[in-house]
Amino acid sequence: MLAVLKAEDIGLVYESGLIFKRGHTVLRGINLELHEGRTLGLMGASGSGKSTLGRILAGQQRPTSGRVLFDGEDIWLMPRLERSAYKKQVQMVFQDPEGSLNPRKSIERSIHEVLGLLKVPALQWRSRTKEAFEMVGLSEDLLCRRPAQISGGQCQRVALARVLLLEPRVVILDEPTSALDISVQAQILNILRDLQTDLGLAYLLISHQPEVIGFMAHETIRLEGGEIV
Amino acid sequence: MTAILCPGRTILEVEGLTVGFETAAGLVKAAEDVCFSLRQGETLALVGETGCGKSVVASAIMKLLPRNASVRGHANFAGRDLLTLSEKEMAGIRGKDISIVFQNPSLSLNPIIRVVEQVAEPLQVHGCAQRRKSIETAEKMLERLELDSRESRMYPFQFSGGMNQRAMIATSMILTPKIIIADEPSHGLDSGLVDETMRVMMMIKEQIGSSLLLITHDLILAQRFSERMAVMYCGEIVENGKSEEIFAKPLHPYTRALLDCLPERGFHPIPGSSPSMINPPEGCKFRPRCQQARDRCMRKPQIVDGAAEDGDREVRCWLY
Repeated sequence: MLAVLKAEDIGLVYESGLIFKRGHTVLRGINLELHEGRTLGLMGASGSGKSTLGRILAGQQRPTSGRVLFDGEDIWLMPRLERSAYKKQVQMVFQDPEGSLNPRKSIERSIHEVLGLLKVPALQWRSRTKEAFEMVGLSEDLLCRRPAQISGGQCQRVALARVLLLEPRVVILDEPTSALDISVQAQILNILRDLQTDLGLAYLLISHQPEVIGFMAHETIRLEGGEIV
Repeated sequence: MTAILCPGRTILEVEGLTVGFETAAGLVKAAEDVCFSLRQGETLALVGETGCGKSVVASAIMKLLPRNASVRGHANFAGRDLLTLSEKEMAGIRGKDISIVFQNPSLSLNPIIRVVEQVAEPLQVHGCAQRRKSIETAEKMLERLELDSRESRMYPFQFSGGMNQRAMIATSMILTPKIIIADEPSHGLDSGLVDETMRVMMMIKEQIGSSLLLITHDLILAQRFSERMAVMYCGEIVENGKSEEIFAKPLHPYTRALLDCLPERGFHPIPGSSPSMINPPEGCKFRPRCQQARDRCMRKPQIVDGAAEDGDREVRCWLY
């Protein structure tokens, strides 16, 4: 099976010092593949490089060595249009649900911002929003509220709905439930599993909780000191 | 609601505690008819989802609520109702008899005052020791929490979250209070640090013979460290009993649903979401999400004593 997203020998070194440069290796020789409808669990202690690897796969940070391939093409060598399509199709969901949304904008405006960027005709905004909200089990009553006026679980579902509007193929979930209560965690994990079944999404699930990885992941890798062990 | 009959001496008895907050959107009913008792030397966990009113109960007992709060009920401690005491009288109790560990250690400590000075402050405020002596005592307390004299002279912003949490624990325990209220002590800590922090807190609690009111949304933490547990939902205690028995045989549908969310029980979510605390559902507040709801649940359920075979359980549900 062809991997949707593939990391080939990824390495990242941060340099410090003005005259005498010193290198600090964050990631070394990372190889992994993400497949449609499958979840790859990524475990490791704080500071092991999990989130950095997630950002590299999402194209938000360039590695110092190695390649990230999307449908077999290096994301850093893609023509502009193809890279823009890649950016839509590989999305991230972050740990802090409230921090993922603009606190000054209503939920509706945060959602419509995405639809505007996608150049969806304004007439379709309502139906597209409704559809995305239904997928994550949210009521449309929340649209007029601001992030501070809804719960953490609802914020995370709004963030998920916003990601779904982009019709992604790969979602990188960076500790998506660790800031949530156990009851909300169960809700979000079940929604993520159902969405994967319905839409064939490929997930990279970053978590330090073995139970969460065990519930979601088909395969698991562990990072230690920037290397897969 | 009557508090569970305990073989040990009751040190704190909370009866009918009701807290409301006047806001622009209406009256937020943060706690309603909350009753529980805390025995000498025991650990009682107050568990429930975020926003169910656990921390409000702690702040009400300590009289630390904002001015827009209206408080009714009783919190009896050492023959006095804390809720009727003046600010001056409460200042004499806070820290000395009842202390609180807040949930965000990095925000609770002053970033520009050395840790040891802050740990020593309660001793000076309550007139228990002069500055030099109080610093020595604070250093000893911090050493028990595995922070050496060099570290104790550092500032909170130089500490990790776990080190700050230990400093908070030292501050709350330095006057050997009779009751320690730990409000989400695991909040923001790595799983390894949670274990370490709780281990240290329980060790010192045992040494000084205090009682612990452990406020947490972490059910496993509550199970591991508490003897008894009170489960809160939407401002009310819905079930109260021995922790191991509640885990083995939960009676209230909400407790059952909450335990089913645990990873080892399969991550089964609770349908729906928590109700508004301004306009809560009529009757049983869990009714809209309850699989066993009936017409009678439209009326407010009363507390049932001895609902389990062990006889030491209280449940607020029409099923019993």
